[in-house]
Amino acid sequence: MLGGLKSDEHCLIHSVRQSRVWRCLPGGGKNLTVLTIDRVTKRFGEVVAVDDLSFAVGEGEVFGFLGGNGAGKTTTLRMALDIIRPTKGTIEVLGRAPGRGNAPDIGFLPEERGLYRQMSVIDTITYFGRLKGMQASDARKSGLALLERFELGANVKSSVDKLSKGMAQKVQLATALVNRPRLLILDEPFSGLDPVNQGLLEEEIRRASANGATVIFSTHVMQHAERLCDRLLLLARGRKKFEGTLDQARAELPARLTVVAKQDPATLDGVDSAEDKGEAEPGWRRWSVLLEPGVAAGDVLERCIAQQFPLRRFEQVQVSLHDVFVHIVGTPETVQ
Amino acid sequence: MKNILIVAAREFRQITSMRSFWLTLLIIPFSIGIGAVVPQLIAKDEPDRVMVIDRTGGSEARAIAQRFELDRNRNILSDLSRYVQRHHLEQADPGALWAQHDRWYSDEDVARFMASGGLASAQAKIERVKAKDTPKFEASKADYQMVPVPPSIAAAPDTGLDQALKPVLKPEGKDAKAVDYVILVPANFGQSPLVRLWANRQPSQTFVSTVQGVLTRDLRTRFLAAQGLSPQAAQTATAIQPALAISTPPPGGGARESMLIRSILPLFAAYLLMISLMLSGSWMLQGTVEERSNKLLETVLACVSPEELMYGKLLGTAGVGLFMIAVWVACALFGAYATKGAIADMIRPALDPLSSPGMILALIYFFVVGYVTIAILFLAIGAMSDSMRDAQGYLMPVLLLILLPISILMQAVLGGNTGGVLMEVLTWVPIWTPFAVLARLGLGIPTWEVIATGLVLAAFTAAELVLLGRLFRASLLAQGQRPNLAEVVARIRTAGA
Repeated sequence: MLGGLKSDEHCLIHSVRQSRVWRCLPGGGKNLTVLTIDRVTKRFGEVVAVDDLSFAVGEGEVFGFLGGNGAGKTTTLRMALDIIRPTKGTIEVLGRAPGRGNAPDIGFLPEERGLYRQMSVIDTITYFGRLKGMQASDARKSGLALLERFELGANVKSSVDKLSKGMAQKVQLATALVNRPRLLILDEPFSGLDPVNQGLLEEEIRRASANGATVIFSTHVMQHAERLCDRLLLLARGRKKFEGTLDQARAELPARLTVVAKQDPATLDGVDSAEDKGEAEPGWRRWSVLLEPGVAAGDVLERCIAQQFPLRRFEQVQVSLHDVFVHIVGTPETVQ
Repeated sequence: MKNILIVAAREFRQITSMRSFWLTLLIIPFSIGIGAVVPQLIAKDEPDRVMVIDRTGGSEARAIAQRFELDRNRNILSDLSRYVQRHHLEQADPGALWAQHDRWYSDEDVARFMASGGLASAQAKIERVKAKDTPKFEASKADYQMVPVPPSIAAAPDTGLDQALKPVLKPEGKDAKAVDYVILVPANFGQSPLVRLWANRQPSQTFVSTVQGVLTRDLRTRFLAAQGLSPQAAQTATAIQPALAISTPPPGGGARESMLIRSILPLFAAYLLMISLMLSGSWMLQGTVEERSNKLLETVLACVSPEELMYGKLLGTAGVGLFMIAVWVACALFGAYATKGAIADMIRPALDPLSSPGMILALIYFFVVGYVTIAILFLAIGAMSDSMRDAQGYLMPVLLLILLPISILMQAVLGGNTGGVLMEVLTWVPIWTPFAVLARLGLGIPTWEVIATGLVLAAFTAAELVLLGRLFRASLLAQGQRPNLAEVVARIRTAGA
């Protein structure tokens, strides 16, 4: 039993194989756990930045770490990288305690990004590659390949201060990817990126995932999480509010339907309320229907058919992650 | 360890790729070089032309010309002696004056040298024992050349000389050679001491002293003769002068001058420590501030621990400091070589301390540990500052605290003042220990004090590395206002918890 994790969600299989820890993760199947945060608390003086947080991320997952400003996302990621230490609790990264020994397997892009302004582009990437345990020649080779891919082949020898902001962002991404990491940790990676680079980053996240890497990224931009994540964790004021798949997140909100019917759908079982939106066509009216919590749209449709409830249209309205976030966390102002 | 070396290498490359680094590195040898070359460039290739209008019958003009000749031959003898010493050619004639070094050659010595054949005879003897690759002796040029008085000037009355000498002192035409000095010894010289001197520029002190010496001696001879002394006795009396024998006492043995010479190297090391620390320390500070202000620390800290980053920076900066010193020393060696050993001859006594292994060890130990002790202060300041402006706020008081007492210390050592409470205090307070001990090494500092202060310094530096290391770690990702003293202490305690 992994302390702090619900026994029906996680079970620890006490077997370590080649320094990798095997655990059962939500969704049933046996999976390789790349990051385990177990009852972790971090205090800065009187401020509790992270409060009794527990979760696990499996190998190959794209894991979204969502929360508003000050939710504790950056603090948690810094603890996973051993940049700061938890006040309480334990952390395991790639089956080991956090530390610089993990650097060869990790790629990290912090929220506040910068580069050595006087260094050349390739020297910068090589430097970070070497700090991650690579041979200089390998780091250089890998860096050159990344720069070609990012269309910066002509700027290999330029000094960083000669680059545009967008180019510098690509170089920063290259420093995170140079060692072909097994675990890619991205802290608010989309913040400050122009649309082109946002697209590039999404592509790189998908590419890393396709190559078997685990990607953990924090964001408060829900659209990115919706597009990319296999699973999500919602954090508010240092505490976990939700962990699960996108569908599970959406299930947290009562389903919404758009229905064109002759009668008021509120009379159906499982329907919480129905709002008349006006005439859709002669004799038919458009209704905005809110189902009772836990009731699936399919069940209501079956009831309509069974009761020969006249319908011209029955459409489930997709709940956005933004709506889920606002529903769970309750503070929409920091969420986009 | 590997990460420390990678960080150190980057730090080294970063600093040495700065233009300001190369400017600073080269400006010192360049200034010294300019300092050495400029006087030679300014110096005239030709001797000063001197004209003496002697209304007394010519005896004073002859005396002045003889003095110039005597001094010229004395210079040749001294140069020859240094040449013989440098190339170990004493066996050419062990009894010759030029084979006896470190002495002041009296007028009699010069007269003996000339009587024994002068430079030509000496060179012939030297040539017989000199190796083929030994460079040829080059005598220094004459300082003065006597110029005959033209009849028109000789005939001009004293009162009309101002006008008559104008074309001589400032001749017109490109090829016309000016006379540099004109001396008028009036007919009544003896009754009146007045002698007039015209010069086409500010007269040199050496020239004035020489002329004054000759004429003073003549005045005194005349005076003694007037008092009843025979002219020969009067002349002999005024010619009496001491024979000054110069010797260098053995190391540690006494004379203040010799101790000062022995202090040159340790004092030089103390100065080098100070200069290289100030320069490389400020570059290191700049680098650390850049990492904070450019927000790239988090990326770095994901790969290396704060301790590795700190030690890497210290190592890289120490490398820069040592590289600077190596370049300066290489320039000095090149200078010594380029001047054909003349500089080496002059500083040879200053290298005496290097004959003692203990002294070499102490020099290296206090230099290196002193470097780390001060450099880590720069590093901690850099870690606490978001901008160079912020850093200046901390830096100024720290620099004043370190440098003011050091300046006083250097002055005290140069003044030969090796005792006193201040010297002891500076020796035992660790941030000043490296400078004080280095400065005192040449003057004589008890061995037990060197060892004890070395141990205190080591303990202080170790404690400093731990405490400021904590401050460095705690400050790297800290944000907000510049921390006050209470906050600094809190960071050290928190990071150590």
